[in-house]
Amino acid sequence: MKWLYLRWGGVLIIAAIIGVFGIQRYDRDVTAISPDRLLRDQPTQTVRVLGMVEPGSIVKEGGAVAFQLSGEGAKVSVRYVGDESDNLRDLKTVVMVGTWNPATHLFESGKIALVPNYGFVTAAYLLSLIPMGLFLFNMERKVAMLYILIKEEKVYQPEQLAEESVESR
Amino acid sequence: MHFFNVIRWIAWKDLLSELRNRENISSMFFFALIVILIFSFSFSLDPKTSKELMPGIIWIAFGFTGIIGLGKSFLAEVHNDCMEYFQIVPAPKGAIYLGKFAGNALFMLIVEVILFPLFILFFNLDVLEKIPMILLIFTAATIGLSALGTLFSALTVQIRAREVMFPILLLPLAVPIFIGAVESTRGVFSGDPLPLYSDWIKLLIVFDLIFMVVSFWVFEFLLDY
Amino acid sequence: MVASRFISKLQRYEGWFGIASGLLIMVGLYLGLVTSSPDYYQGEVVRIMYIHVPAAQSAMLAYTVLFGGSLWYLWKRDPVVDNMCHAAAGIGIFFTSIALVTGSIWAKPTWNTWWTWDPRLISFAIMLLILVGYVMLRTFLEDKEKEATYAAILAIVGFIDLPIIHFSVEWWRTLHQPLSISTRGVSIASDMLIPLLLMSIGFYLLFTYMLMVRTQMLYLQHLLEAKRGRMLSKVHL
Repeated sequence: MKWLYLRWGGVLIIAAIIGVFGIQRYDRDVTAISPDRLLRDQPTQTVRVLGMVEPGSIVKEGGAVAFQLSGEGAKVSVRYVGDESDNLRDLKTVVMVGTWNPATHLFESGKIALVPNYGFVTAAYLLSLIPMGLFLFNMERKVAMLYILIKEEKVYQPEQLAEESVESR
Repeated sequence: MHFFNVIRWIAWKDLLSELRNRENISSMFFFALIVILIFSFSFSLDPKTSKELMPGIIWIAFGFTGIIGLGKSFLAEVHNDCMEYFQIVPAPKGAIYLGKFAGNALFMLIVEVILFPLFILFFNLDVLEKIPMILLIFTAATIGLSALGTLFSALTVQIRAREVMFPILLLPLAVPIFIGAVESTRGVFSGDPLPLYSDWIKLLIVFDLIFMVVSFWVFEFLLDY
Repeated sequence: MVASRFISKLQRYEGWFGIASGLLIMVGLYLGLVTSSPDYYQGEVVRIMYIHVPAAQSAMLAYTVLFGGSLWYLWKRDPVVDNMCHAAAGIGIFFTSIALVTGSIWAKPTWNTWWTWDPRLISFAIMLLILVGYVMLRTFLEDKEKEATYAAILAIVGFIDLPIIHFSVEWWRTLHQPLSISTRGVSIASDMLIPLLLMSIGFYLLFTYMLMVRTQMLYLQHLLEAKRGRMLSKVHL
């Protein structure tokens, strides 16, 4: 039985490690900040900003597209140079990846990213992997207990009692 | 020729016992009638929606009828302790299946043929000239339902919860019958030309053949304990 | 100690399948969740595919095993094979439910609906109903001798019917709704293929492992009941 618990303890530890890695990657690569946080924190590294394209603010100049990205009550001026600028449309929720330029008060972006919706993925994986683990653990535990019980079980033999009383006389 | 004799005898026995007390057919018939009435209350049927819903309502009613009637197939044998005697019948056990199946199919068809004019009456259907095609569809679907239903009735007749288990086992597997029957009936009612809905009739016929053969083969194991 | 040599073989080798499946699934999950790229149209949600598709494949494998085992049981009447069939049905119910639930969760962000009358989803739902009916039949039948035979018959008839059900529902859906959303619209990039393959094989191995464990469990339960004298008939030892 103890090997059973050791095995499953190991599985839990590995799952926790994977979970920690997943959360780290999420924070690093997937989370996006809102425009008001961008204006407040003014980070220097590459960030992702999630917001909505202000209607009527799209201006195409040369190879770049300038527009206003709004969210949480703040508006950020974005200058985007890159492919698929047609994806930028009024009222569309986008994630812009780029850096904040404090001198020009512009968010210079080179990439449009997809809006993350990790909620569904997490729900799907948790709803499948956790019941699977519980199911398997339960089955293995029952099998281990059954082996122990069968070893201890003596086959019922009513003649045994009579024989013992005959021998003891 | 024991094989065909057994089929004949079993079907004849069922027919006779049914004619004597008519309990199965009458319960099937009145249950279907009640289902029709409830449907007519549940849906507000203007002529346009009526035309679309009608095939579905008809086949739901017939399906429930089948569940009531088919579920009782082997009840008489179980009550009279005949199930063990089936083992000594000197013919393939599939003959017993075919005899029961023939009786069940016949009863279901009789009930459907009695009920359909009532449908025409209550819901003002305009299908009198299409009766032969309608009869063909009814026969094909009824054969399919009886084929599966007789088999599952034999499987569930000795369970205490048989009235629950029988529909649970039968209905998922009878889905192609219902789809085929409803679509071909809808085709006939809408006056479509035959090629438009003949595929569904072919589906019904293929289904019937496959499951009559499979059930026939499998019955050998069923009664062989 | 245990009468059947097959069961002791199961006990000896099951560990390998468990370890192999665990490794493959962990590597597959890492590649699928962390390093593979999201789909252009569906975004991150496509990662549900890495669990939905393998679960569906394992569910179909479970039913195939159930069908083969039922045929084998009707031919050889080996009680261990009957235990394997019972085990396969329980595991099949599990994987089918996971496939349906993950499919539904996948459908909501991609097609904006929790359930769609897609032919494959319907076929899976009906397969779930057939498997549940199978397990219910086995639970309700009190006579142990008949339980195995009747269950085998039900499994065989159900398996033959499943393709017919799938085709008839597919024809029905093409009639009433164009099949434009029948495929998931996922263009499989090469870095999606490897995690998917790993997860598929990992799930197949996981199914085998679960089958071995569960067959042992059912066999041992019957053995224990027999030893305690509750079952006086000789079968299932």
